[in-house]
Amino acid sequence: MGFDIALFDQSLVQKQAVNEIIKCNDFTADYGLALTTAQVLELVETRGRALNANGRIEFGGGVIDKVIKEFCDSPYISTYNYEQTLHELIEMFYYYKNETLDLISDDDLIKFMKTAFDGTCQGSLELLAGRELDRFARNLRGGYVCSFSEDDNYEDEGDSDGKY
Amino acid sequence: MENIEKISVINKEKLNGEFYLQSLLEEALGLRLITDADIERIQYECLELLANRVERYNGDHSSSIRAEAAQSIMTSNLYTIGISLKSYSSADDAVKALQETKAAELYANGRKRIDTMLKTAKALHSKVLNNMVDTGNVFYNETVAGGIKGFFKIYDPDFEAHEIHITADYPLCNPIKSLAGIEFIQKYLESILYENAFCRNFSSDDIHHLLCGHDEAYQELLLNIYEPVLTAAIGCVVAGEDVRRLNLTETSLLFLNSLLKGKSKDQIYTVFLKAFDELKSIFPITGNLQEQYIKTSLRMITSKVIVAMELQTLDKLFLIASYPENKPKLYFSFGDKMDNKSYREIVEEIMQCRHLSDKITIIKEHIRSLADMEDILLDAELSAHEVLAVLRELDQPEIAALSKKYPFKSDLEAIDLKEQERILSKCLYDFIASLPEEQQAGLSKAIDMLDISF
Repeated sequence: MGFDIALFDQSLVQKQAVNEIIKCNDFTADYGLALTTAQVLELVETRGRALNANGRIEFGGGVIDKVIKEFCDSPYISTYNYEQTLHELIEMFYYYKNETLDLISDDDLIKFMKTAFDGTCQGSLELLAGRELDRFARNLRGGYVCSFSEDDNYEDEGDSDGKY
Repeated sequence: MENIEKISVINKEKLNGEFYLQSLLEEALGLRLITDADIERIQYECLELLANRVERYNGDHSSSIRAEAAQSIMTSNLYTIGISLKSYSSADDAVKALQETKAAELYANGRKRIDTMLKTAKALHSKVLNNMVDTGNVFYNETVAGGIKGFFKIYDPDFEAHEIHITADYPLCNPIKSLAGIEFIQKYLESILYENAFCRNFSSDDIHHLLCGHDEAYQELLLNIYEPVLTAAIGCVVAGEDVRRLNLTETSLLFLNSLLKGKSKDQIYTVFLKAFDELKSIFPITGNLQEQYIKTSLRMITSKVIVAMELQTLDKLFLIASYPENKPKLYFSFGDKMDNKSYREIVEEIMQCRHLSDKITIIKEHIRSLADMEDILLDAELSAHEVLAVLRELDQPEIAALSKKYPFKSDLEAIDLKEQERILSKCLYDFIASLPEEQQAGLSKAIDMLDISF
């Protein structure tokens, strides 16, 4: 008798997610950002693909609305790259949720992504995924403080003995 | 009239105790007691329940969960619903309940039942701890005391109700089939309680000697204690021996062999049941359930007897007590060591020698006690080939004494040994293996009997 969780009817969950994301348009209007229903549906699809690729499942509306509300005031996001950035952030989020072994909450991970995106990455999604989040996940798994960086250590050593 | 059971359309035997809900639905669907629509509704309700449980599992922490974690929670939910369904008097009633009651409600009932079972199991465990058999068997002591305590510490009825987490290494005489989680532990403890109650009719010394009849190192073996005790007790009753001392002899084995020879399984079981009736008049067998447990054990022992009769190995089943403390002992002294200065000089001389023959000549000339010989073998940096050559110069009692002190160990066991100790132990093993079989047997007997002093 099949009780496979893959059988779970995702249509209700998707509907819930779409409603939640569309509501975000009111919030993002102040920043000149908005998503059409078609764009929202594509985002929900991306979420489904990301969940599937990372072996995760989600029962509620998900995190897309949280990502939107956190990132909408970023100086590196405009109408031109808004949708594309969201697609990539969603994929990144679920990938690093696994990489951090679920040790960090959704809110904290999104906050870290935002700080790094606006800060050291200066709007580069490649740097965010390939450097900041990777280091962050490694530190979490290894039990180091999240800001720990081996590169910084080498730099410090170099400064102290003056050889570099 | 007490045992009248309601006739059920669903055959109880076909239901799986571990995956009760799934097997019940399959059977009910096969017998057309429920429709496909019912199944779909139940599946959907179970998924809704899963969504609620996952929300509780994650808290505010996360909105998603790894698929394997979700699957495990689902298995736990289905197990808990199964526990609730098992409380109905018949499988048909359980199906009816599935049709009429929401999955969440069944889950809540099951969860309450698990709490009750957990309390019962804890009470059973403390009873078991008060009635432990006094034995040195590590598996018995570790599992029954430590292992079960560990289970109570880590059991999570909310999200992993179907898991037991521990391995429950100590085997039962009547193995538990298709039960999981708290149900398994409760049944395991009940079985241990019955087994303990029976074994406590005999003195721990008699049980020790009986198990020594199986193997003198039984303390380290993964074996059930109650089974040989029950078998010996039944054997004693049938052969007319002293059952209180579990005193089976070679003669009683011959008698048992002649009595049981040619009998069918049912006939042997009847003989054992009769013996058990007699046993009940000697020892208090409390309660119907313990009696039932012993009868089930006897049925299993009967099957083993049939096989043992065919293989002529009845002595492996009906054990004859063995008394290792009464075996003759050989005492061997390693002798006195020479003074340190002379010893240092000899070791240096040996290490400076180029040829093996010179090394052996020095050893023969200066070494007078086995204690010094042992030190030389360890300190003189001899290669395996050289150690073997020195061993060839020794007498058999000396080889036996060294082998007793340096038994052969596997790579894993020898991990704590020094390199030279490892070489010596391996060389002794190789040396003995190279001897004729007769000498090997003599040496092995001598090693067993040796009591070495330094």
